[in-house]
Amino acid sequence: MIGGIGADGASPLHRLPAGSKLAGLAVIATALFFVDVPAVLAIAAVIGGAAMLSTGRAPARLARDLALPGLAVVLVGLADVLLVDAATALVAVLRLAALLFFAQAVTLTTSTGELADTLERALVPFDRLGLLDAPRVALTLTLAIRFVPLIGAEIAAIREAQAVRGLAGHPVALAVPLIVRILVRAEEIADAIDARGFPPPRGPGILADRAAPSPAVPSEDLPHDHP
Amino acid sequence: MTTRDIGLVALFAAVIVALGAVPAFPLAVLPVPITLQSLGVMLAGLVLGPKRGAAAPLVVIALVAIGLPVLAGGRGGLVVFAGPTAGFLIGWVPAAFVAGLLAMRLDRDGTPALVRALSAVRLNALTRPLARGGTGTVSRLLGLIAAALIGGVVVDYAFGIVWLAFAAKIGLAKAFYGSLAFIPGDIVKAVIAALVTLKVGDAYRLDRR
Repeated sequence: MIGGIGADGASPLHRLPAGSKLAGLAVIATALFFVDVPAVLAIAAVIGGAAMLSTGRAPARLARDLALPGLAVVLVGLADVLLVDAATALVAVLRLAALLFFAQAVTLTTSTGELADTLERALVPFDRLGLLDAPRVALTLTLAIRFVPLIGAEIAAIREAQAVRGLAGHPVALAVPLIVRILVRAEEIADAIDARGFPPPRGPGILADRAAPSPAVPSEDLPHDHP
Repeated sequence: MTTRDIGLVALFAAVIVALGAVPAFPLAVLPVPITLQSLGVMLAGLVLGPKRGAAAPLVVIALVAIGLPVLAGGRGGLVVFAGPTAGFLIGWVPAAFVAGLLAMRLDRDGTPALVRALSAVRLNALTRPLARGGTGTVSRLLGLIAAALIGGVVVDYAFGIVWLAFAAKIGLAKAFYGSLAFIPGDIVKAVIAALVTLKVGDAYRLDRR
């Protein structure tokens, strides 16, 4: 498994529900794109920085978190100074910095589990409309996280087998067996999931349609799955 | 989506994440790190087809949004979407879709129009082996390279450049020239993706959807 960035803590931002934080972030991000006044953007950046510091993460670690995206912002500022003018550079850098700070504040105070739950809840309206299947989406995300170390192990196994036969590492020689193994493995995984009775039968309240088909009618026969 | 499709999408999303752990080769001073992750996006489109191919990078983007460090260099979290280069990330979804759609149309036997046109202008020494010797393999390879290039380079760069132009306020032309430095690397990746897909197709019947 891979660990998330979000850390434990008891700051006011930690206690705020994940949905509110994401909605707030979306509103702030949208609003900032319509503001061109450096002073307002600077105030936003200061508030964002304060929100980030209120999470209780050590400033040294914050600096490390933001080193890579911060470098991108600095380069954008340099490009603006060289290609356009200093005023544009100031606006662009302040806006991106404010966005970075607010986004980092949300990420640091929200666990991956909370965000995944929020995501699944956000998908429920689309589920009701029949556009997608929230449990399946959630399963796909969970499986993808689980499969990252699996892919790493597959790559190591293929490399070892090729090294034993005296073959050097070549991207094509590595990727071809990897993809073929993945295609074969998807069958095994599907069998394993089906054997465990996924998707679960839908209870009343999740869907308006209480007479939803039981798993005996495989949903893969739905017409939208076929071009 | 069948259960098998869920497994395939999750596995290809994991491949895209895993390719981010392969050391990136720094190319220019621009803020887009050159990584193999876009190779994974092209492969998802070429191997799985448009719908499932686009779903794989979409899963990666969802994992980024929920704060997992799944991008190259351990980047993740909502910070990524605030950055000036987020368009290249968002563009992965339409890129894989277009690559998959074109792969469905172009990965087939027969002399491609390009080779036929070249033969007509008497570039025989170059095109005769292409048109004749490959018995379909060369035309399939060219089709797959075209699919990977149009999806993985043209479509992804269109999203990335427009986003960069607006987020960094540098204008479309400057964003375009600034992004040119990364195109050679992506062309190499498109050729690798096409070669891999061709060889995988020899070993396993691909059905693109």
